[in-house]
Amino acid sequence: MRYSFYPGCSMEGTAIAYRKSLLAAAWALGLYLEEIPDWNCCGATVAPGVAGSYVRQVLAARNLALAGSRGLDVLVGCSSCYLALAGANRRFQAHGPFRVLANEALAEGGLKYEGNLRVRQVLEVMAHDVGLGKVRDRVRQPLAGLRVAGYVGCQTVRAVPGSFDDPENPLFLEQLIEALGATAVPFPAKVRCCGGSRVAVAPGDALHYAANILETAAGAGADLVITPCPMCQFNLEVNQLEINRCGGSFNLPVLFYTQLICVAFGLAPTAAGLKHCLISPYPALSGFA
Amino acid sequence: MAEGGSSMDPLLYNSGFARKIYDLESGSQVKRCMQCGVCAVSCASRQEMDITPRRLFSLIRAGQSEAVLNANTMWVCTSCCTCRVRCPRRIDLLEVMHDLQRYCLVTGRASHPQVSFHQAFWQELRERGRIGEAGVMLRCWLKLGVAGAFRKALEMKGTGLCLLRRGRLPLVSPQKLKGLPGLNKIIDKAQTQREDLK
Repeated sequence: MRYSFYPGCSMEGTAIAYRKSLLAAAWALGLYLEEIPDWNCCGATVAPGVAGSYVRQVLAARNLALAGSRGLDVLVGCSSCYLALAGANRRFQAHGPFRVLANEALAEGGLKYEGNLRVRQVLEVMAHDVGLGKVRDRVRQPLAGLRVAGYVGCQTVRAVPGSFDDPENPLFLEQLIEALGATAVPFPAKVRCCGGSRVAVAPGDALHYAANILETAAGAGADLVITPCPMCQFNLEVNQLEINRCGGSFNLPVLFYTQLICVAFGLAPTAAGLKHCLISPYPALSGFA
Repeated sequence: MAEGGSSMDPLLYNSGFARKIYDLESGSQVKRCMQCGVCAVSCASRQEMDITPRRLFSLIRAGQSEAVLNANTMWVCTSCCTCRVRCPRRIDLLEVMHDLQRYCLVTGRASHPQVSFHQAFWQELRERGRIGEAGVMLRCWLKLGVAGAFRKALEMKGTGLCLLRRGRLPLVSPQKLKGLPGLNKIIDKAQTQREDLK
């Protein structure tokens, strides 16, 4: 199964482990990801506040135009990138003057897009194209006894409500955890916002978001937290360290779910990118990695 | 007239302001608001918002420009989409907040610290085509002046060094996009078109 792949800016830097583990897990599941050449930033949730929604949709659509000729579904790992690209895509597919106007702008860069592609999140592809059965079959090291909090995050299931899982009580990540042989702890904070890009500017003000999520996970007995969102992974780790510096005592490694998949699949040690974690997952994963 | 305490000054409405907001890309959606308050209680940032989305919409409709432009609502919004998913009138609050952010920037009324991040992000996007995390933070901090930037860098030193040691902070900015000139032409054109589209 082939897909066009839109990595997004964070996979070049802070979410490097997501990129590595996603590519490894995808390959193990028979998904071939072809990176969109010369892709540009999608604008995240910041560009529309500066340049406006229309401009953002057009610049995000440059990526769809670049991927257009291959005709493959566009796979996105980051929930903000998904919000941006899926949002732009829907406008191209809807009736109205948008498509014509947007293509006039894209033409300035020698590009054009007809709205022929589907933009999909990795989790949704795992749910529908791969299926939990195939994931379960590929497991070589069932993570028996490992208690995992599946932190879905807010935009993952709310960016395009109904596209994948329930926006208030998503279940797929927990089912994935169980398919890997681990135990998904009950986790009511699974869709609470981690603070997003507020953390970059006002780290002190933004601690409460993470504190709430981490307390809930720790209270449920989690050994570690997994998440599909680069901002969430960053915030929960960095804020955890900050909270600990101010007297807290959390010890919850935060992994991308693809990293856990790599461990459960018994892939090469470097595939999961565990060395990139700020909070070591090795004690929690002893016996598995 | 009410006795004791309340102001005798007439309440000044700025009906032009409400119309300006309605003219923004998603601004007219504010008219649909039925003041149910679900957005306010759902908001992830509610403990910091001085004026909830519900109240902000009421103030917009009443033309209370000063109260609206001074609010921190749009700047502490994290775009979590919870309000948008739950709004019974299907208002796209995310887009309204973005419109308000832009309105504040364009009218020179934006004074929240989050603003410098927004501006730095956009500059990085236009100058490189992709966002380098170190690059954005540096641009953001430099808006505080060199001394301010230095102070911020020291505050985040621990985190920065941690990320660096773990291979998550490329110090060299990502290579510029090959198609950067094309991207910028696309953006320039889209900016001139913006007024055509409601």
